[in-house]
Amino acid sequence: MQAPATPKTQTAPLRPKTRVTRRSVLIADRAADWTIRIGGLAIILAVFGIMIFLIHVAIPLFLGASVTGHIQRDIPNGAGNPRFVAVDEYNTVGVLIGDDGRVSAFHLPTGAALAVNNLDFGGGVATAASRTLDWRDMAFGFADGHVRFARLDPTAGVIAGDSLPPGLTRLANGDSTDGRVVYAAAPGGQYRRIGVVVATDAAQPVAEGAAIVAIDYRVGGTIERPSRAFITVDSKGVVRLSSAETRMNLLTGAARTTLTTATLPPLPAGTQVARVLFTANADQAYVADAGGTVYRYDTRNLNAPVLAETVDLLPRDARLSAFGFLIGEQSLMVAGTDGSVGGYFRLQREGASTGDGYKLIRAHDLAPHATAVTGFGASQRGKMFVTGTADGLWIRHGTSEQTLLKLSHAESAGGRHVLLSPRDDGVFAFGGDGKVDFWRVSIPHPETTLQTIFGKVWYEGYAEPGYTWQSSAGTDSFEAKLSLIPLIFGTIKGTVYALLFAVPVALLAAIYTSEFLHYRARALIKPAMEMMASLPSVVLGFIAALILAPIVETWIAAVILAVVAVPLSLLVAAHLWQILPIDWALRLDGAPKLVMIFVTVALGVYLAALLGPVFEYAFFSGDFRAWVNGSTGRATPFLFILVFPVSFLVAQLATERLDLPWLRAIADRTRKDGAFAMLRWLVLLTGSAAIAYGIAEILAALGADLRGGVVGTYVQRNTLIVAFAMGFAVIPIIYTIAEDALNSVPEHLRAASLACGATPWQTATRVILPTAMSGVFAGIMVGMGRAVGETMIVVMAAGNTPILDWNVFNGLRALSANIAVELPESVKDGTLYRTLFLAALTLFVMTFVINTAAEMIRQRFRKRAFQL
Amino acid sequence: MPPDSGLALTPTAAPRGASRPTDLLARGEPFLWGLGGALGFGVMMIAGFLLLVLWNGIATFYPRPIHVVTLVNGDVLAGEPTRTESFRPPAAEVAALPPSTQVTVATKLGFADRTLYRTGNFDLYGDDFRWVTDYAIARITTPPDLYLFERLEWGPFIGRIKSVDLAGATFDAGGIPLERLAVAHDEARRRWRQIREIEHDEIGRVNQQIESERLALRKMELGAGAHTPEYTDAAGRTEARVAAMTREYEGLAARAAALKAENARYTIALADIKGREKLLPLAEIMRFYPANDLSIFGKLGVYVSRWGEFLTAEPREANTEGGVFPAIFGTFAMTLLMVIAVAPFGVITALYLREYATQGRLVSVVRISVNNLAGVPSIVYGVFGLGFFAYIVGGTIDEVFFPERLPNPTFGTGGLLWSALTLALLTVPVVIVATEEALAAVPRSVREGSLACGASKWQTIRRIVLPRAMPGIMTGLILAMARGAGEVAPLMLVGVVKLAPELPIDGIFPYIHFERSFMHLGFHIYDVGFQSRNSEAGKPMVFVTTLLLIALVALMNATAIMVRNRLKQKFSGSQF
Repeated sequence: MQAPATPKTQTAPLRPKTRVTRRSVLIADRAADWTIRIGGLAIILAVFGIMIFLIHVAIPLFLGASVTGHIQRDIPNGAGNPRFVAVDEYNTVGVLIGDDGRVSAFHLPTGAALAVNNLDFGGGVATAASRTLDWRDMAFGFADGHVRFARLDPTAGVIAGDSLPPGLTRLANGDSTDGRVVYAAAPGGQYRRIGVVVATDAAQPVAEGAAIVAIDYRVGGTIERPSRAFITVDSKGVVRLSSAETRMNLLTGAARTTLTTATLPPLPAGTQVARVLFTANADQAYVADAGGTVYRYDTRNLNAPVLAETVDLLPRDARLSAFGFLIGEQSLMVAGTDGSVGGYFRLQREGASTGDGYKLIRAHDLAPHATAVTGFGASQRGKMFVTGTADGLWIRHGTSEQTLLKLSHAESAGGRHVLLSPRDDGVFAFGGDGKVDFWRVSIPHPETTLQTIFGKVWYEGYAEPGYTWQSSAGTDSFEAKLSLIPLIFGTIKGTVYALLFAVPVALLAAIYTSEFLHYRARALIKPAMEMMASLPSVVLGFIAALILAPIVETWIAAVILAVVAVPLSLLVAAHLWQILPIDWALRLDGAPKLVMIFVTVALGVYLAALLGPVFEYAFFSGDFRAWVNGSTGRATPFLFILVFPVSFLVAQLATERLDLPWLRAIADRTRKDGAFAMLRWLVLLTGSAAIAYGIAEILAALGADLRGGVVGTYVQRNTLIVAFAMGFAVIPIIYTIAEDALNSVPEHLRAASLACGATPWQTATRVILPTAMSGVFAGIMVGMGRAVGETMIVVMAAGNTPILDWNVFNGLRALSANIAVELPESVKDGTLYRTLFLAALTLFVMTFVINTAAEMIRQRFRKRAFQL
Repeated sequence: MPPDSGLALTPTAAPRGASRPTDLLARGEPFLWGLGGALGFGVMMIAGFLLLVLWNGIATFYPRPIHVVTLVNGDVLAGEPTRTESFRPPAAEVAALPPSTQVTVATKLGFADRTLYRTGNFDLYGDDFRWVTDYAIARITTPPDLYLFERLEWGPFIGRIKSVDLAGATFDAGGIPLERLAVAHDEARRRWRQIREIEHDEIGRVNQQIESERLALRKMELGAGAHTPEYTDAAGRTEARVAAMTREYEGLAARAAALKAENARYTIALADIKGREKLLPLAEIMRFYPANDLSIFGKLGVYVSRWGEFLTAEPREANTEGGVFPAIFGTFAMTLLMVIAVAPFGVITALYLREYATQGRLVSVVRISVNNLAGVPSIVYGVFGLGFFAYIVGGTIDEVFFPERLPNPTFGTGGLLWSALTLALLTVPVVIVATEEALAAVPRSVREGSLACGASKWQTIRRIVLPRAMPGIMTGLILAMARGAGEVAPLMLVGVVKLAPELPIDGIFPYIHFERSFMHLGFHIYDVGFQSRNSEAGKPMVFVTTLLLIALVALMNATAIMVRNRLKQKFSGSQF
């Protein structure tokens, strides 16, 4: 029985061949294969996805504007000679107002005329006209010296879809009209009611028997008690600043207008006045003549107005063709027949020869047109404006100086009247040939260019171009100033000071741990330091800002002293240790010595605290904070503190190899090497202190004073605090990586060096450290990456002032902190939102470069360590 | 000495070697002390920091005595001494002092000591802390009849009990039945909790139901149109249901009102140290104790009860008082969700790097990506999370699934889910690195054995490799949790708020509310320390929260180490 069975058992191993792997196993294998491969590669997607997303959000900042539609219409009832054009904020109804008071309104998309009253000019024709920035209030001057005020009100309202009045005529895209008012379809099944109502006030006599040639008009006050101010120039060259206050009699309902007029100092005879402007609070008036000469009046005191300044704003051969304020009435845009466009504002200048100490400064030169500028219109929302010439319209931005959009209108006769629609989403132009043009435009971020974000920009009211970050303020006319430079500077400043503190401590501690510490102590200290790396930074920020900052503020002198006192006490202790007989020193090497070192550090800190006030009296005339402000004391003390370590180091290095045979002979004879070393060190210390003091005195005499530079005004939450707190966050990282690098230097190198007779100190500095250098350096780089991106500590302890100032006692505003503080409040897809994404991208790129460099250095180190 | 050393040079050489110890310069003693000093400084810095947090965190809730301080100028104040510091009084103030005091200040180089007293009674004084300079103090006493009342509003009150009104039974300062007062107080508090439960939970539930009815109707309107018969039908039914709910709401409100009326009958009249009176409903007092007349057990009782409140109650008074339960809960919920998200992603990437990829350029790009992901500042993740997760992904979800709630965002703003995903992205390198290490530690022989037995690649990974790598993966996950729990900056952008009345997990369908904002311990520290009315009043709270957060992070780190060791032991038995 057994014999025949044998061949069968021998074939048994072949039997599995007939078994097939289960289908489900195959499928699972294949699925896992794909999932894991795709999942693994997704990590690349994650990194580049983040970067691409940040770029994607930030990039529209630098894209210009685009035209989304263009309409050209003939003017329906041909208003004679239009003075003004206007459009409502939904770009539905266009209005033209002629100088004879005729008003024509029409539905913009179709050109259908709407019935509207005319202005009551009493048969006269306006010789001058002006209106407010929001276009609702107009003033007209007449040949008989009278002035009329008029108001244009868009009747806007929202009504539900089912309460539309019957009998409407249908216009384009869901709009319909009853002949006077347009009902435009709005989201949510509702309709917007848009029409125009005009009203004219009675004529006010201003100039007797002389035509008004220029006028400017402002409206303030409340609806019940409007106050109106206007400035006029008549044909005799008399400039009058008038204010009209209307009081409503509550009983009778009658309005009474009182007019007060001040006459400004006269213009030179024969001046051909082209335009006149004044500010809403009536403190400045500008009269421009046709040649571009501007007479600026200081009218703060209306009883005694003075001519403050006369200045030419245009080249000799050019004539003034546009002159107007941008929103906020600080920037004055001037354009001439030579096509030039410039922006001016008034600045207080030392030694200005003007009457009030201010001067008109040309701050912005914008790209010139090839032909004469004929029209000008300012935005109601920002510093954007539009200039028109015979062959095109340019939309520009006054601060960023960029030309956002160039519109050409080949078929019409140029932009004599141009304007930006109230929401900055349309340009309306009347060319004078009976045609109007309307462009729908999209200009999401007119104020940003690479130059405004990374370069110097001259903002209104600033003495010079600069880097400014100021993203919000209380007023409507406020212009956001979004330069990333102060933030990048803040990040770099915080990082530099933090590393100045952290790198020495972390590296020295790492060398000691790796080379001199007993392995049992090392097993205790290293994990403790590593645990610190996972400490939440919000905790560090809190302790730094609320606990540390007030203490440091009180004890600042002691803190500065500690920087000197702790190393000094360590050196003193080390020299005392050298005096110990060698057998004692050897016996106590290890734990007792470590304890001694710790005690010495504590002693140094204690001494600094104890002597802090004395030090403050001796060095900083008793009040450090007054001293840094520069109000008391001299520059020498701080210079001395900085020069002293340098001079000591130089002296130490210079005399290190200096062999004094007689001293050596005495030392050999007495066997008191240590004592002589100490003596020599003390001589060196006092000597270098004296030299340092001398150098400091000389430097101070030469005018060197660090106050205003790296030290200056003291604020409670300052860079010193940030550096210390950030040191907490960074030290464990640098320490761990550097210690790992030192530790992974092969043991045989260490053994060989010691066997050759080198001391542990020599081994550490000449063998281990050079070998591990690249690893140590990578540690510093990783620490730097962490410091650059650290957020909570900076938010809490840095004071968040966006300034360009190396002062260690002042605050800073880092990119990261700025994002954390401002992004939650910014509007999605707004300029600030995108700028903050750009800030995040900057941060990303900074850390990307640092980390990639660190990784490359580390890989080189690994290769090298492997080869050894 | 060897006998054959009679050569000319050797005798001189040998003594020189013996007499000259190593060159001092070569020993580098001063440098060694410098290195050691740096280590010492670092260690002391850390120890000092931990001690500071530990001491302040632990000591905060322990009741302190109340000092009655009579000042030199005759003013009196009562308060808990909070801390003492040295400061430099302004010169004008020093000049006005009596000559002997001036000398004392002068000998201390212009410094003087001062104590910060927590005087409480914010409603009476407009401030609850006061610095008192040592030289301004005439006398300090600790009278036993001073009480500290912790109130629901206005912070603590320090003063005496003037009279008590327990539902009509009034008692004057002389004969206050303390036990009866304590019982009445407990009952008033119980009723107060009932009122809260009704107002917060039950009425909240009813309101939520009404809201969801309204939303359902709106959804119908968006879907079918406002003038369809279905809509009119549904509107009628909704109206009926809402009416029923409104009736329920009114019943609940009436119950709450009855309890409130009962509570209003129990009042206590207090007087501060200068006799200014204040009448308080008993229910508005959290706890009260005679600070200077408390036994050690009494003090411990207050201490324990305060910790209890801190860990289980909701915050009050702009987060500066009460508890942090919602923050603890939010931190845990977010961290757990984060781990669920990060685990598969991290493990898959590590598997790819170790088991599937062939070493080459692609793998080095992956490694560079992992390293960069680890090095990107956390705030950048926050920016990405807000822009991508909340606005783009969330916005799309809202448009597709919750059109009835627009324009109010549901997922289209910061929330629990987006926070967890953002932090998952942030912590994925931690998991990858730990998992890779763990996979590398699985011996090759194990894999080969499995494959030789006929297992497929995936079967080998799933049944053999992953279980052995589990300790490492777990460690990585726990380390990721520790990192995630301590991170605040990105959360400020993607969903943390200073006060979230509704927990992200509750008893209302669908139980886990991924879209809700939540509170977080780390953000709580930032908020109370920096955004509150009075950072001094919030400081104790911040310290305790800090202690809690550090303890939480340390606990997670310690658990990571423990899990690793435990699982290592478990699997070491089956070593080949």
